[in-house]
Amino acid sequence: MSPSTEKAVLRVAGLGKRYSSDGPPALTDVTFDVAQGELLAIVGPSGCGKTTLLRIMCGLLPSSEGTVLLDGRPVSRPSGEVALVFQDYSRSLFPWLNVRRNVTFPLARDGLSRAERAARAEAALSEVGLEGDGSKYPWQLSGGMQQRVAIARALVSRPAVVFLDEPFASVDALTRAELQDLLLSIHAHAEDGGTTIVHVTHDVDEAVYLADRVLMLTPSPGTVAASVEVGLPRPRNQTATRSSLRFLDLRNEVHDVIVQARR
Amino acid sequence: MSTRAPLTRFRGVLLGALVFVAALAIWEAWARSAESFYFPPVSEIGREALDVWPSADFLTAVGASVKRLAAGYAIGATAGVSIGLAMGSSRRVRSTLGPTTEFLRALPVIAVVPIAISLLDDGDTMRIAVIAFGVFFPVLVATVAGVCGVPPEIRDTAALFHLGKVERTIRVYLPAALPTIFAGLRTALSIGLVLVVIAEFTGTGDGLGVYIWTQRFLFDVQAMYAGILFLGLLGYVLNGLLLVLERRVLAWHYGAIGEPVH
Repeated sequence: MSPSTEKAVLRVAGLGKRYSSDGPPALTDVTFDVAQGELLAIVGPSGCGKTTLLRIMCGLLPSSEGTVLLDGRPVSRPSGEVALVFQDYSRSLFPWLNVRRNVTFPLARDGLSRAERAARAEAALSEVGLEGDGSKYPWQLSGGMQQRVAIARALVSRPAVVFLDEPFASVDALTRAELQDLLLSIHAHAEDGGTTIVHVTHDVDEAVYLADRVLMLTPSPGTVAASVEVGLPRPRNQTATRSSLRFLDLRNEVHDVIVQARR
Repeated sequence: MSTRAPLTRFRGVLLGALVFVAALAIWEAWARSAESFYFPPVSEIGREALDVWPSADFLTAVGASVKRLAAGYAIGATAGVSIGLAMGSSRRVRSTLGPTTEFLRALPVIAVVPIAISLLDDGDTMRIAVIAFGVFFPVLVATVAGVCGVPPEIRDTAALFHLGKVERTIRVYLPAALPTIFAGLRTALSIGLVLVVIAEFTGTGDGLGVYIWTQRFLFDVQAMYAGILFLGLLGYVLNGLLLVLERRVLAWHYGAIGEPVH
C-alpha cells in the first residue's frame, strides 16, 4: 500500500547533467525522494532526460552536479544494489543463456549455494508466471515473456530499488496491460516492506494506473515540473480503475502539466 | 531453421553436384585435347592420387602439415581472442595497441616469411610462427569488432551486476562476441591453409608444401596435382569441421536469428 514518506530509500538532490562543458544541460536541479516500498512513476516527453536521470541514479553515468543517495550512501558507480529493466528486452537478456541461467546470473557473486540460487530463480520465475520455462532460451519466448524474464532477473537479487525504463513500450497493448498488472502484483506481494520501484514512462495513463506518485519532468533541460499523489485505491483494476473519475482527473492533470511544460 | 521444402533442397544439392561433375568433365575433355604436360586429365590425376595418398611418404607429409597448421592456428587464435578481448573491452588498451596492430595487419603475411626464416631457420618453429602470425589478425579484428558491437543494454546489465572487469569480459563480452569471433576464425582457417603451404615451399624437410614443390622439380605433374587435390580436400574437411563446431557452440545464436547462410 501507499507508503509514508518517512524513510527515503533514494534521495536525489540538486542533480544536474551536462554532456559537454559548454553544451546545454540535459538535466538541471532535479530533486526528489523515493520512499521505501513506493512505486514512483516518472513521466515526461521524449528528450526530457528521463533515461539520463535513470542512468545517473543507477550509477552508470556520473552527474555534473548534485547527489544521489541510496540508503544514505552516495551513488557514483554501479553497486549491485539496484536493478534496471530496459525497454529492449531482446538486447538486455543474454541470448546464450537459458531463462533460468539468465535469472540466476546476478546471484553469481552473492556467495549462495547452488541449491539456494536455484530456489531463488524458481521463486522469481514463478513470481512472473514463468515456472516451467526455465530451460527455454529467450528467443523461444514471446516479447512479453522475455520482458517477464528480465523482470525476474531484476527481482532475484532483492535490490533496494528496481528501475524500469519504458519497460512495456515494445509490446502490444494487451500484453502491456498484463505486464502492468504483473508489476502491481509484484509491488503488492513483496515481502519485507515491499519492493521500491521507479518506473520511467512517457505513457501518462500507465503512470497514473501504476504509481503511488507521479513525477513530471519538463523537457530540456529536464527538471521536476510537478509531483502528484495518485491515491487511487489498491488493488487496481484495468477496467474499474481506469474508468473511475479520480483516474480521469489525475490523468488529465498530469497530461496538462506535461503539455504546458512543453511550451 | 530452414523453411525450404525437402524436395527443393534436394534439387539444390543435385544441381550443385551436377555443376561439379560438369566442371570435371570439361577439364577432362579440354586436357585430353590440349595434351599439355602441366595440365593432365583429371582421370589421370585421380588414378595417381589413389596411388600416392596411401603411401607412407605422403601420409608423413600430411601429418607434418596438419600438425603445424593445428599448432599455428591454436596459438594465433588464442592470442587473437585474448588480445582482442582486452582491446575490445578497454579503450585504453585499444588506443595503446591499435596503431601497432593496424600496421602489422596491413603487412602482407607472405612478406614476413623471409624475416621468419632469417630469425628462426627453416624448421617447425618458423612455420608455426608464420601460421600463427597470419591467423592472429583476422581473429583479433573480429574479436575487437565483436566486443565493440555488444549492445549497450548488455554492457549496462553487466555493469549493474557489479562484475569485475575480467569476469565481465569472460562471462558477458566473450559469449556476446562469439558469433563475430567465429567469422574471424573461419577467415583465419583459410589463411592458415595458405600459409602452411607457403611456409613449406620455402624450405626443406617434410610437409605437403614440400611434397608438392618436390614433385614439380621431379616433373611428376600427376603427383603434384594429387598433392594439390589433397590440400583442397583438407581445406574442405577442416572448414566443415569448424562449421560443425560453430553450429554447436552458437546453437543459441542460430536459434535466435535462423540458420547460417554459408
